[in-house]
Amino acid sequence: MYRYDEFDHAFVSERVEQFRDQVQRRLSGELAEDAFKPLRLMNGVYLQLHAYMLRIAIPYGTLSARQLRMLARIARTYDRGYGHFTTRQNLQFNWPKLSDIPDALADLASVEMHALQTSGNCIRNVTADHFAGAAADEIADPRPYAEILRQWSSVHPEFSFLPRKFKIAVTGADRDRAAIQVHDIGLHLKKNDKGEIGFAVYVGGGQGRTPMIAKLIRDFLPEEDLLSYTTAIVRVYNLHGRRDNKYKARIKILVHETGAEELARQVEVEFAALKDSELKLPEKDVEAIASYFALPDLAERAEGWENLARWKKADPDFARWVQQNVQPHKNPDYGMVTISLKPIGGIPGDATDAQMDAIADLAEEYAFDEIRVSHEQNLILPHVALADLEAVYRGLVAINLAEANAGLITDIIACPGLDYCALANARSIPLAQEISRRFGNAERQAEIGELKIKISGCINACGHHHVGHIGLLGVEKKGAELYQITLGGSGDEHTSIGEIIGRGFEPDRVTDAIETIVDTYLGLRLDPSEIFLATYRRVGPQPFKAALYGATAEAA
Amino acid sequence: MTKIWKETGFVENDPWVIETDEVKATAEQKPLLSLDELIAKADVSNDVGLGVLIKPADDVRRLEPYLYRLEIVAVAFPAFNDGRAFSHASLLRQRLGYTNELRAVGDVLIDQVPLMLRVGIDSFSVSNATALKRLAENRLPAIPHHYQPAVRDAEAGKGYSWRRQAKPAA
Repeated sequence: MYRYDEFDHAFVSERVEQFRDQVQRRLSGELAEDAFKPLRLMNGVYLQLHAYMLRIAIPYGTLSARQLRMLARIARTYDRGYGHFTTRQNLQFNWPKLSDIPDALADLASVEMHALQTSGNCIRNVTADHFAGAAADEIADPRPYAEILRQWSSVHPEFSFLPRKFKIAVTGADRDRAAIQVHDIGLHLKKNDKGEIGFAVYVGGGQGRTPMIAKLIRDFLPEEDLLSYTTAIVRVYNLHGRRDNKYKARIKILVHETGAEELARQVEVEFAALKDSELKLPEKDVEAIASYFALPDLAERAEGWENLARWKKADPDFARWVQQNVQPHKNPDYGMVTISLKPIGGIPGDATDAQMDAIADLAEEYAFDEIRVSHEQNLILPHVALADLEAVYRGLVAINLAEANAGLITDIIACPGLDYCALANARSIPLAQEISRRFGNAERQAEIGELKIKISGCINACGHHHVGHIGLLGVEKKGAELYQITLGGSGDEHTSIGEIIGRGFEPDRVTDAIETIVDTYLGLRLDPSEIFLATYRRVGPQPFKAALYGATAEAA
Repeated sequence: MTKIWKETGFVENDPWVIETDEVKATAEQKPLLSLDELIAKADVSNDVGLGVLIKPADDVRRLEPYLYRLEIVAVAFPAFNDGRAFSHASLLRQRLGYTNELRAVGDVLIDQVPLMLRVGIDSFSVSNATALKRLAENRLPAIPHHYQPAVRDAEAGKGYSWRRQAKPAA
């Protein structure tokens, strides 16, 4: 993984001291809250419902054991002993004191981490496929490009006061695990006929109150043009993005109003002028960054195959966990392990300091010191020998994180909702917990198969409900919480926005409604290999509407 | 009160005035024209030494034919969070090759000044009390390591082509 050099170390500690000065001015009253706000946001500090919140960047979701241990320590020292992994490959602490935050940032800097640009109207933490560098289906590792973008966008003098936040995601496989089509810029790595690396460039996707799927504006952008082309896009957006209305300020609205073709034309004009500037990437620099992301030296561990067969036979729980939470690695002697942060009845994405420490230990001992955070709020050990799976599983059982539910109905994404968030209209966490308990039975989950439930406590859609196979959106109606259900959303290479199925449900009726939807699906599917999303796409919303509201019911 | 600051210090007797219904340039002063006024005036005269005020929604590229006649371009930050003038400044300096005075006017705050300097702004119309105080003490909250080239000349940073390091103060 990327290691800071002297330059990075100097930059991050200068940035911590710069922020310490800003915090001191705020605490002394010299800086008013409205002027402090954009400054603190660019350092990951929110003001939430009950307290400040610190959102730490985990660039492209990659962590070392040492870094994860520091996160555990920060949870213990400055917070209440736990952290929340988010859908944007960040970690949030919900209860820090403002006066402690510069110290927490200094602690982060000591392990090559920061909270830069995890908030504010700037280019946010760049995200990537959580299986990057390990997945069997990968064309190229997206992380070197995400790292170059991370550096280039950090405290960018031209782009620190954009109309709104700006999110970039990169994927290196045709199977899109980074949801690039619902980002402001989505980059899909590909090879051309000559075997050269480049990017398909998507622009203007996003969720929130106006969900939109990104438009392809460049089929193949050469690698060397990554920064100049991105600069061109962000400059056009900075100059022409709407600033009259916060809700229309994202680039998706600009793309929609201008038209993708015209926007692409404007970007190309800017790009033509920037193409041969200092932003052109020399091959040697790309290679130097890429060398940090080289696959670890994976010894031959062929004994794992036989061991695995024996262990699976002896322990059905282990067998189920391998089946669900371990995916094929580039190297057939290895697997990619998903550590589900969704224990039955738990809070999606939460981990305690002790759990983080234990996972760091496992990563060090069995996984080449690497941990990933997925946008589905789980952790990943990307390189684990099959021969070590049993030991890793035992380690996870000991900390109650061996739930064999990756991709299943209880692997729910949920935003913090009204339990923490100043924007929320409704709670998300208790709902996720109730659904998880209702469907907690392992056999039943396996019977239902792949099904992604995503819950947002407000229209801003941090819980990605628009791209949930089943999406739940909490709204407030006459002072009470109500949940709107959407069906058929998906955030992969066939991205779709879910359709609202009908009138919303009161909190105590939502789980029954989910059960009705699931039962309807089970009755309609052609065979067990047809997952919920495929069935929905085949039959459409009508049977589900009929089951929920009666055959003649009108959608409200 | 508003003062003009440059890296060499505060400027006395600055002649440039943004005219309003109440405020007009006196005999010793010069108005900052709007983009349309500037173009109208330049098209019917041979005047040089002109000044223009670029508003956020203006297309700064329209200045191209008139640049040699401009003594100053002011770019407006109507609110500190309206960052369009950062792009205007970049375009003026890098694309159009404008080399005379480039001034930030409007909501100019101390924490934004280092970023403004990096996009080529070299003159600042400041009224914020904290900004005035810190500029008087020459305490800019700048950091010397940059991850991207910008308008302002800087040494190549160690390691990668996109890095820059501020030149140490002479």
